[in-house]
Amino acid sequence: MSSCGNPATEEQALMPRRLKFGKSKDCVRCRLKPGNIVIRHAVYCKECFTPIVDMKFRKALEPSVNARAGTSKRPKLKASGNLCLAFSGGLGSSITLDIVHNTYFSSRPPLDDLGKPRGGTNHPRNVSVWPSCLVCYVEVCGAFAGMHDRTEDIRSVVERYPSFEFVPLRIEDAFDGSWWTKVSGSNITPQVWLELSKEGLITDGLHVASKVTDLTPVEAMRSYLSSLPTQTAISSALQNLTRVLILHTAHSRGSSHLLFGSSLTSISISLLSSISQGGGYAIREELQEEWAPVAASGSKPNNVLRVIRPLRDVTAKECAIYAWWNNISVVGRDKQRRAILGIAALTKNFVVGLEKDYPSTVSTIARTCEKLEPKDVPSGQCRLCKRPMQSAIQEWKDRISIRSYSDDKLAADLAHIPSPCRGNLDTRTPPQVPPLLALTDFLCYSCHTTLTSRSSRGVKQSAPGVSSATPLPIWVADRGLHEDGLIGDGTRRKIPKEEMLDIVANFLINDQELRGMRYLQRFL
Amino acid sequence: MADTMTIKLVFSGGLELLFGNERNQSVLIPPLVPSDNSTHSSPSSSPSTPSSHNDIPSTGETKAADLEYLIYHLRDHLLKERPELFMENGTIRPGILVLINNTDWELEGEGSYQLCNNDEIVFISTLHGG
Repeated sequence: MSSCGNPATEEQALMPRRLKFGKSKDCVRCRLKPGNIVIRHAVYCKECFTPIVDMKFRKALEPSVNARAGTSKRPKLKASGNLCLAFSGGLGSSITLDIVHNTYFSSRPPLDDLGKPRGGTNHPRNVSVWPSCLVCYVEVCGAFAGMHDRTEDIRSVVERYPSFEFVPLRIEDAFDGSWWTKVSGSNITPQVWLELSKEGLITDGLHVASKVTDLTPVEAMRSYLSSLPTQTAISSALQNLTRVLILHTAHSRGSSHLLFGSSLTSISISLLSSISQGGGYAIREELQEEWAPVAASGSKPNNVLRVIRPLRDVTAKECAIYAWWNNISVVGRDKQRRAILGIAALTKNFVVGLEKDYPSTVSTIARTCEKLEPKDVPSGQCRLCKRPMQSAIQEWKDRISIRSYSDDKLAADLAHIPSPCRGNLDTRTPPQVPPLLALTDFLCYSCHTTLTSRSSRGVKQSAPGVSSATPLPIWVADRGLHEDGLIGDGTRRKIPKEEMLDIVANFLINDQELRGMRYLQRFL
Repeated sequence: MADTMTIKLVFSGGLELLFGNERNQSVLIPPLVPSDNSTHSSPSSSPSTPSSHNDIPSTGETKAADLEYLIYHLRDHLLKERPELFMENGTIRPGILVLINNTDWELEGEGSYQLCNNDEIVFISTLHGG
């Protein structure tokens, strides 16, 4: 290491390490006890730490409880529906479970000296804010060979909170018509399939097809995941499937609020990861959103579900300490699941490292993203991820990308490439592309990228006997995708009523069957 | 010569999976250890060896046993798999919280904290997310 040349300094002097906290090691809140934990340069003792986290949780949640804000500064809390908690078994959701139970569902509130419930008139413990609480868990072992099914482990954790109802789901439910019937009330929803290339990957055109198959939901899900082009896409797809499963389940069960246990660290990770995959348009929804399934034309609008992340101001370090000091057991995640590579995992490594050395920067990521919003109004809801969708995606992609090598100037530029290497470069004029690509207009940019973005390492080798199409999640076909005539040869056409009747004929009960059912009812 | 120190260990947040699924363990650490954190002559790594292994190592400088040495010792003698999930760049991996007698190690000097007999060191992984 070269010297600065200043003769007054010691040559071997090292820069003193910067302290990670203020001058004093005493608690900054009570100023009485020595501190036990450092949170973003502030020192807290054990007794002061837990109430601080509880207060952050309530400040993030309670302003959104009442359907209308009202004029009172401290309104009585009363939600319009029940509460749903998304539980993954991880650190944040375990803490969320515990805090929600202790704050809003504890049957034995602490009493004051007069024997009355402590906390005053407006204290949430004295009023039933939500009539009931569901805890939704999505088991993902079906997507990974050899992964242990943790549903019963999770059930045993939730059963420690007697006020909560456990609602287990499976990731393959996204391809299960019977689950969709339960949550949507739709009896008939055809399966939408995407055509695959010879390498077994989804084609850029996103052409849809209609197929009848006997694939089980697990097989359909695995077919879908194996058709995705990268590990990043698989990770993203699993997150979307999990989220949409929980959204529909919560909405169908009459929930007015859905809570995710994402900490500030997790939110910062998901924001950066989402933006890097083209999800910037839905950046506000990553933090908080009001969601409802799009109603069919002519029917009344659906009730809104408020999706909130009450640990959004609590870092992963604070969550870990809170769980340790309050004896909250964390089931955790399977090692195989954590080993998934891709942008999400790389972003997590980066942000976690950042939190260690520069803890305030993690908060800066979330705070900066909170200030962002898209310029224009959404053109609808993406059929795959159920988030707001921007318009004119395909036109924008056409403007920024090379679609063919048939341009004369481009062909001349490529002349220097040796002939054997030019095999993949098709310089012929491409055939006339249909004016409307099947699914493109119904997906957001992030989902479009997830399905079609190839790895820089090249396409994967196709297995022998690869399928020509892959199923999509069952909700993609909701609200008349089939009726719009998008299923077929890729061109739009209006399906005649007679043809529609032919398609659903097998599902209709005829008069003879109806009479038989009424006859049997007499004996039941 | 000061006696060997007993250090109580607790692993939580999924970190116990790397240590044979045992949450609570203990190790024996000598009062003086090599300055370069070499763990070849540690008493708890070879209980059947003669007591001369508690003596000061014959090569290199020594230092009072500190938390930095303990981390190396755990990696070399207790960790069952995936050392890269426990240590990184000579220190504990980012995302793992360390408590010394229920206090954040950042308040106690991190790796330079000198170990005392019957200290309880808790390692908590914060990488399980939401």
